[in-house]
Amino acid sequence: MTRRLVISLTGLLVVVLGSFVGNVVADNKPALGLDLQGGISVTQEPVGKFDSVSLDLAVERIRERIDSLGVAEPEIIRQGNAIVVNLPGVANQEEALRLVQVTGAVLLRPVLGSLQNRPTDPNATTTTGNDSASTTTIESSDTAGVTTTTPSEVTTTVAPVTTTLAGGPSRSLPMVATTVLESTAVGATDAPTLTASPPGDTVVTTDVGSAVTEAPTAQAPTTTMDPSNFFGDPSDPTAIVMVDNTDGSETYQLGPAFGTGEVFNNDAKADILQGSWGVRVTLHSGATGADLWNVGAAQCYAKTKVCPTGRMAIVLDGIVQSAPTVNQPSFSGGVDITGSFKESEAKDLARVLKSGSLPVRLEVQAVQFVSPTLGEDSLHAAVVSGLIGVALVLLFMLLYYRSLALVVVIGITLSGLTQWNVISLLSSTNGLALSLAGIAGIIVSVGVTVDSYVVFFEKLKDELKSGRTLKNSAERGFKSAWRTILAADIVSLIGAFTLWYLTVGSVRGFAFFLGLSTMCDIVIAWFFTRPAMLLLARTKRLQRGRVFGVDNTLQTVGGV
Amino acid sequence: MEAVTTTQRRSALGRLYHGETSFDFMGKKKIGFAISLTLILLTIGSLLTRGLNLGLDFEGGVAWQVPVSKTMDADAARAVLTSNGIETSNAKIQILTNGSTESLRIQVGDQTPEIQVKVKDELAKVGKVDVNEVSVNSVSSSWGRSITEKAIRALIAFIVLVSLYIAWRFEWRMALAAILAMLHDVLISVGVYSLIGFEVTPATVVAFLTILGFSLYDTIVVFDKVKDNLDKFAGSRTSMADITNVSMNQVLMRSINTSLAAVLPVLSLLILGSGVFGAIALREFAIALLVGLITGSYSSIYIASPLLSLIKEREAKYRNFRGAHAVGPELAHMVVSGTATGAKSVRRQASEIGGSGSTNIAPTSTALLTHPPRPRKKRRR
Repeated sequence: MTRRLVISLTGLLVVVLGSFVGNVVADNKPALGLDLQGGISVTQEPVGKFDSVSLDLAVERIRERIDSLGVAEPEIIRQGNAIVVNLPGVANQEEALRLVQVTGAVLLRPVLGSLQNRPTDPNATTTTGNDSASTTTIESSDTAGVTTTTPSEVTTTVAPVTTTLAGGPSRSLPMVATTVLESTAVGATDAPTLTASPPGDTVVTTDVGSAVTEAPTAQAPTTTMDPSNFFGDPSDPTAIVMVDNTDGSETYQLGPAFGTGEVFNNDAKADILQGSWGVRVTLHSGATGADLWNVGAAQCYAKTKVCPTGRMAIVLDGIVQSAPTVNQPSFSGGVDITGSFKESEAKDLARVLKSGSLPVRLEVQAVQFVSPTLGEDSLHAAVVSGLIGVALVLLFMLLYYRSLALVVVIGITLSGLTQWNVISLLSSTNGLALSLAGIAGIIVSVGVTVDSYVVFFEKLKDELKSGRTLKNSAERGFKSAWRTILAADIVSLIGAFTLWYLTVGSVRGFAFFLGLSTMCDIVIAWFFTRPAMLLLARTKRLQRGRVFGVDNTLQTVGGV
Repeated sequence: MEAVTTTQRRSALGRLYHGETSFDFMGKKKIGFAISLTLILLTIGSLLTRGLNLGLDFEGGVAWQVPVSKTMDADAARAVLTSNGIETSNAKIQILTNGSTESLRIQVGDQTPEIQVKVKDELAKVGKVDVNEVSVNSVSSSWGRSITEKAIRALIAFIVLVSLYIAWRFEWRMALAAILAMLHDVLISVGVYSLIGFEVTPATVVAFLTILGFSLYDTIVVFDKVKDNLDKFAGSRTSMADITNVSMNQVLMRSINTSLAAVLPVLSLLILGSGVFGAIALREFAIALLVGLITGSYSSIYIASPLLSLIKEREAKYRNFRGAHAVGPELAHMVVSGTATGAKSVRRQASEIGGSGSTNIAPTSTALLTHPPRPRKKRRR
């Protein structure tokens, strides 16, 4: 029994102090919330129908944008459907609002031209540039009917559109990527001709290439692809824009959008199509779906002026996710996008399409600005007065319980350290931030923590008074106090959990800290207070003296 | 008689320290109820007439904050609003003092983002300060409504879950009494807010929730003792009022200690934090907490327990002893010994000795190691 108590006591001390040292070494500190540090908080909520995937994507996009700006310790939290973005230290409100407003809309734009960003390759011309380029094809996904697209076809370079731009010698415009869009429908008997082409045979693509070379190259690239030229806002569907692909390896010049991702049903998924990873998605019928898509597809297939390259770019928030070549003039039902995708790439693209089919429309719900000095003052005041308050409590305990208060002091210190550990750890891993409400919650919880000791000591006193030995009293007292503590703490935990789950904002933050401090209370009571008191109760020193004013040396029965 | 004499020498504080008080809480329950009823009526009256001063986060709207300067005062701000076509009659304009800096806070209803920016720029121009020194906080009214709804939903879920837990862990009567006492606390705290006219902010809600949690916590600890005593006294014919009285006297010291431990840090926040350091953000929070903690401690003794006793007295087992309860030394004996046995003998001795003798028969503190009588088997409910 004694051994187990010692193990529990040392175990707790090792864990708490160990993780404390670990946190200090790793330089984990509790991150401060906006209200303590100053900055801007923007809360957005989606309106209308949306896909939960698109909300996730929106959060990711916001994070990317903010990260690219290098805001220190931004906090992006999803609370239910609301997205809260906290930007500590940011003072410019317009800037902040611009940063966090993402549309999540997917635009389908024809590719007017593209150039690869390979600065070290001056004559990056043509043909075999397929290494880095995205090679994708779009095909109709009518399942079994459509036969294999041979790998060779997929990778074939479409066309040697090699226009070196006057403005940028380092940049050339090879039409490298080949993506083929094919239509799926059962009746699409013409599709197989494309797909069934023998390996190595580049009939399809050369055709495409020639088509490309005829008409468009002249106008589009030369006039508009001057890099110095400023293009339209990528979010404007009618503008001609210049955007990069996901890894920045290629820059595209894109025409006005044919449509948005909303032409698709919300069913895009990555799958193994024709032997490699691809994405299959279906069109919903009608004017807003397949018709819209087919207008674009027909243009691209025919490589008209509108879509000289025959490629259709899928653009999310100003980034080309994929730019497949259209392999069929018209689609009905499904669309397959195939090519040299890696599994993860296919999955990403599927996610983008899924989100684009039901784009999330975020509306700014609340903007909160805290000036840095105000935050700093509050923090300073809260911490100093809080610590003084705790010191007063400990002083009171010392006066009341004399030497036994040492257990309380150590217990509260350990509890404080544990909370500090958890908060520091979660600050660096999960972006948790300590808010003013959180600090207040912790300060109030001191009362509850102290109460565990008070309950225990009072029960111990009762047991002593009824004439039991100190050792016996400590054991019985703890047992009954433990029941009380547990019952009361579980009520707090239920409260903390309900609030955390159902609310937003500062209430949620408070709920977290309430839950944390309650858990600490339970852990410390069992792993520290219990072994410490039971072990103390066995020492000769304590057994000889008076405890709580109860003279326990007088264990004789019948004082009368 | 050594023990008896030591007991006699103890002062009131000493008796408190040793858990030997014999306050007749149940006898004074009417006073407690009357006080609470008055406070609740005041609260309801104030809520009906004055209502709550809901902050930006609940009502929605826009608030600009601009440093006070020679050219910037309430009238100048109002002029800016009017020039932008904003109704100024509903605008709340107040001066905030934080340490040495003074700033003007202008709050109006929902506005479009364009107007928000325009007013901000104009305020900066009029106040001759940098645009970045003017801050705008805005909350759309729909968002305000939705967080209010969420908070209320959370509160209801919380009450249901906690009631279920208490009903399962203790009994439904205790759940009922505890929840009623908790509502009493929150209601009175809200009443204080309504009466003084403090603005209700998310921080206030957090404070109210803390109150709610603390109130329940405190009540549970008292009820746990009551439950203990219910088992202990199950064999004897003891009235519910007696059991409640005994329990409350036994946990009195703990209640006082805990309340002190909880109130001290909050007092420190209030006096040092907001008073000496001047952090206004802390002030209202601390006031709400303080009121809540005090009502919480008060209600667990004067409201929750008497309520429980009233509810429980309807039970067949305790119905017969309704109304009668022991006081004075008899009660003290029960408090100290934790048993009902002997209470009668105390009464007998007291009557033999006569009126003046009652004080002599103080309970012994080094009591016999009394085992409570084995409780009768409870019938299955």
